[in-house]
Amino acid sequence: MELEEIRVAVLRIEGTNCEDETVKAFRSLGVYAEAVHLKQFYSDMIKDEEQRSLFDFHCIVFPGGFSAGDYVRAGAIFSARVKSVLKRDLEEFIREGYPVLGICNGFQVLAELGALPGFDEDKPLADKPEMALGINESNRFECRPTFLRHENDGKCVFTKKIEKGKIVMFPVAHAEGRVIFPRGREEDYLERLKENDQIVFRYVDERGNYAGYPWNPNGSIYNIAGICNVKGNVFGLMPHPERVFWRYQHPNWLENPESPGDGRAVFESVIEYLRKF
Amino acid sequence: MIADVYIELKEGVVDPEGEATKKALRLLGFRKVKNVSTRKVFRIEIDAKSKEEAEKEIKEMCEKLLANPVIQNYRIVWIE
Amino acid sequence: MKAMHRYKKVDVPFELYEIDILNATDDELIAISEDLGLALNLDEMKKIKEYFKKKGRNPYDIELQSIAQAWSEHCCYKSSKCYLREHLFGIEKDYVISAIKEDSGVVEFDEEYAYVVALESHNHPSAIEPYGGAATGIGGILRDVLCMGAQPVALIDPLFFGRLDTPEDRIPKGTKHPLYLLYGVVAGIRDYGNRVGIPTVAGMIFFDDSYLTNCLVNVGCIGIVKKKNVVPSKVGGVGDLFVLAGGATGRDGIHGVTFASAELDESSEEEARGAVQLGNPIMKEPLIHACLEVVEKGLATGMKDLGGGGLSCVIGEMALASGCGAEVWLDKVPLKEEGMAPWEIWISESQERMMLTVKPEHVDEVLYIFQKWDVPATVIGKATADRILRIYYRGYKVYEMEIDFVVKAVEYCRPYVKRKVKAIDETSPPSNYAKVLLEMLGHPNVASKEWVVRQYDHEVRACTAIKPLQGKINREGHGDCAVIKPTDSWRGIAVTADVNPWMTKIDPFWGTASSFDEMVRNLVAVNSIPHSFADCLNFGNPEKPERMGEFVECVKALGWMAKGFGLPCVSGNVSFYNETPYGAVAPTPTLMGIGIVEDIRKAVTSNFKGKGEVVLVGETFKEFGGSLYCAITGQKSTIVPKTSPRRLKKYVNAMLEAFRRFKIYACHDLSEGGLAVALAEMCIGGGIGCSIDLSGLKGEDYVKLFSESNTRWLVEVENAEEFVKFTSEKGVKAYHIGSVEGDELKIKNLLSISVEKLDDAWRNGLIRFTGW
Repeated sequence: MELEEIRVAVLRIEGTNCEDETVKAFRSLGVYAEAVHLKQFYSDMIKDEEQRSLFDFHCIVFPGGFSAGDYVRAGAIFSARVKSVLKRDLEEFIREGYPVLGICNGFQVLAELGALPGFDEDKPLADKPEMALGINESNRFECRPTFLRHENDGKCVFTKKIEKGKIVMFPVAHAEGRVIFPRGREEDYLERLKENDQIVFRYVDERGNYAGYPWNPNGSIYNIAGICNVKGNVFGLMPHPERVFWRYQHPNWLENPESPGDGRAVFESVIEYLRKF
Repeated sequence: MIADVYIELKEGVVDPEGEATKKALRLLGFRKVKNVSTRKVFRIEIDAKSKEEAEKEIKEMCEKLLANPVIQNYRIVWIE
Repeated sequence: MKAMHRYKKVDVPFELYEIDILNATDDELIAISEDLGLALNLDEMKKIKEYFKKKGRNPYDIELQSIAQAWSEHCCYKSSKCYLREHLFGIEKDYVISAIKEDSGVVEFDEEYAYVVALESHNHPSAIEPYGGAATGIGGILRDVLCMGAQPVALIDPLFFGRLDTPEDRIPKGTKHPLYLLYGVVAGIRDYGNRVGIPTVAGMIFFDDSYLTNCLVNVGCIGIVKKKNVVPSKVGGVGDLFVLAGGATGRDGIHGVTFASAELDESSEEEARGAVQLGNPIMKEPLIHACLEVVEKGLATGMKDLGGGGLSCVIGEMALASGCGAEVWLDKVPLKEEGMAPWEIWISESQERMMLTVKPEHVDEVLYIFQKWDVPATVIGKATADRILRIYYRGYKVYEMEIDFVVKAVEYCRPYVKRKVKAIDETSPPSNYAKVLLEMLGHPNVASKEWVVRQYDHEVRACTAIKPLQGKINREGHGDCAVIKPTDSWRGIAVTADVNPWMTKIDPFWGTASSFDEMVRNLVAVNSIPHSFADCLNFGNPEKPERMGEFVECVKALGWMAKGFGLPCVSGNVSFYNETPYGAVAPTPTLMGIGIVEDIRKAVTSNFKGKGEVVLVGETFKEFGGSLYCAITGQKSTIVPKTSPRRLKKYVNAMLEAFRRFKIYACHDLSEGGLAVALAEMCIGGGIGCSIDLSGLKGEDYVKLFSESNTRWLVEVENAEEFVKFTSEKGVKAYHIGSVEGDELKIKNLLSISVEKLDDAWRNGLIRFTGW
């Protein structure tokens, strides 16, 4: 696919945020990206020129921040609305190998949708959620930089341009980001994730060691910050790559103002994937 | 018909809100407090032919939106 | 109800009363004002009586309520206007597009864009219900910026509470513990700000006993708008339709403004619950999107948010500003609850509502945009040619008054007495310098605010280039300003919030001048050019001459500094009646400074980088009035630091030029705790020590270390000697006092403390109360 042909949709409902910076990140790499309200996929009241189908796009992003105030549970309302109007389309989209990204709230949405951990390639949305993003161990919203080690061997289409073992800095900003797997089955889940090369990012300290709070800002099991599905085309993470797209968004960036931000590689990776699609 | 739907954390799932509240209560001098845990309650008013029918529907609501089965249980308490 | 017999129910199928003021005695007029919660005094009631006498009829309840809203202190600044006009307004700068007149100030950012500034208090509601009060404060300030057509890009929250160590048994009845208020306010700002996706990037938290019964919650917002898209807060012209967008109208927030215009007392808690509104960030977020889409498409001729006074204030003010009248169909207003009387609908302060004026041919398009965002929007009236406002409810006319009479309200130049400050200085050196410094760092006013800052999403929108916490990751210190990069260019906006209530408490004039100086210092410390400022003036009861004296002194000082320096005041807010039987707040003129960073790649942060020499810029005098040193040691001084706008300007120009010429690694202003605290903060953020020798400076050691004299900075610079030479050519005093090195803060002959120990003291100062 040519660069100019690539179309990215950043989905939103009422109370979504972070969509503007996510759209901007994609656009600055030369692809078409727009923020699309969920209503544009189904509502009759929307004018023709604003109506959309999921298959108008080659990449779907659930952006970070909040959605619908994150009442009930973070991401739950957004997920329920997607399920009610887009379930079949989204399953087909994923099955065909198109990439889907969930950042922060988007990760929560993907978890609630049953799209992650996504062990079953033929059934990309599980009937019930198989993981949860629980309240941070610190019991409060935290906005802070985090170091992540990239641990993927090459399955995740969003991190192909980041070498394995590299440490990057993406910030987090969430109150519910603690990765939880069903009780009693944690080991089993971790084994499968490792075996399938589904673990993408893990929280580390400034020296690259797996460490506790505040380096692991939420108490996630196995320091997990982001995982992909078994096929590698659905990726969810709590930290925000779009907030470190440019160097000036990093802390302490003044010494090196022109280099790209750490998060840019996520967007570049998926674009490269789509160009070969 | 009106039901209260209690969403509770499953046993063994850490409850930071409950823990923090317990800590605060202890600090305020309530030393007898042994445990604090949180629940969320949704009061649902529903039109249904029977309680059975309504209960079936509310269960579906819990499974589709109100509870995440990985960490939460639900309990229905009929108010009227 | 004391004047029951003066209220006559009108024979209509809804609740409407005629109030017989024409036959009312003076006592009855006062009784009516009290019965109906109007908070109007006898003179004001008589003025209304006079007006209706000419009309030959009695007013309806809705008319009286409407006047009471318009004439409240909160809406019309009746006690402050004349002094503000005399001292503060009218600083001309060609880059100011709109100052004071509208809901927010509008100032040129670059050729294409303008930035929008607003700062307001939300004190009374927050004292009663901290979570909801603070949250709705955020909601209100966002709308103030939004209604100019601007995208909000940053929130700023200066907060003031009683001392956290106040024992429970000292808390007066009806008052809540400062810790409870702090938790509630921070949570309210967090939950609202984070949910609407606007970063909270700056602010301040100050603890003082005078705020025990009156906490202050000031909220500021900055927005960005293309100059061509700026929307005025007025009707576009006759025939324009009023479109009310956003949440439904309920009984929440009735009498919020009259409530904010009186002292709180024990009973306020019960009575005032109704005056605290509940916010809904999930309505606000789409409301922002929808309004900005309408603006981008050029479909709104005017826009104004519904804040204090609700519909009653917004329609009158929008119409009057363009010399129009208006006709309103009140039954079109979507309601939250049944059975509301017309007057309640008219003055309700329900949140998340905006008023737009739209040309009739654009109404369908505008309504479609709101519908797309699931935001209810309704046409509720139209602009007319005469300057009269008429309201209809279910076909009955319930209101007809000249807008000029209602909106162009009363004004008082209230009497005041100026406080005489007797110069006293009983300060002496401490027995242990290190102990004093560690106590200073652990004082909640100085200590790390990380507990608060991290709960706010200060990075959403991904434009926060210089963050509120600066330095080594997870060991950051405080910065002087946050810097936002609002557009695609490298130009940035620096923002800071400052006031020193300990100084204003002793000497309102010099305390305010010092606060202004500090604001400018902070702007300059990040290498931004001071560009404009907003003020939020929080004071006690203006009917008391000594309170009014504090106010007038503050305004004078502010005007003197701003005019002399050439910094325009573009937006502001006055909050009186921050007073209870227990006492009044320290005079608190909160200032929000805006600076332009011409190229954010040239911005400077506060933490030591370990690469250069340490230079102190500025002169130190024995000025301990309101100092942290006095607070820590219990010593007494009334000598509040002096300053002058000319000296400040000279120093600022020299500093900004030095930033261009020299490699400056770090810069930090000197404020609370003086040189010692500033050095310690730079060490903490950098995780690195420094060796300092002050023997080359004149004066007593404790003065050099702890005095809070104005117009001073610390810089870490590559070539100290040349830097000092350069500044002295500019007539600016600077001293090479040491170098950045090691892991201790060493001040020759005075103290030597490891950075780790400084860090510990500073980082635990607040969380020893809040818990981590």
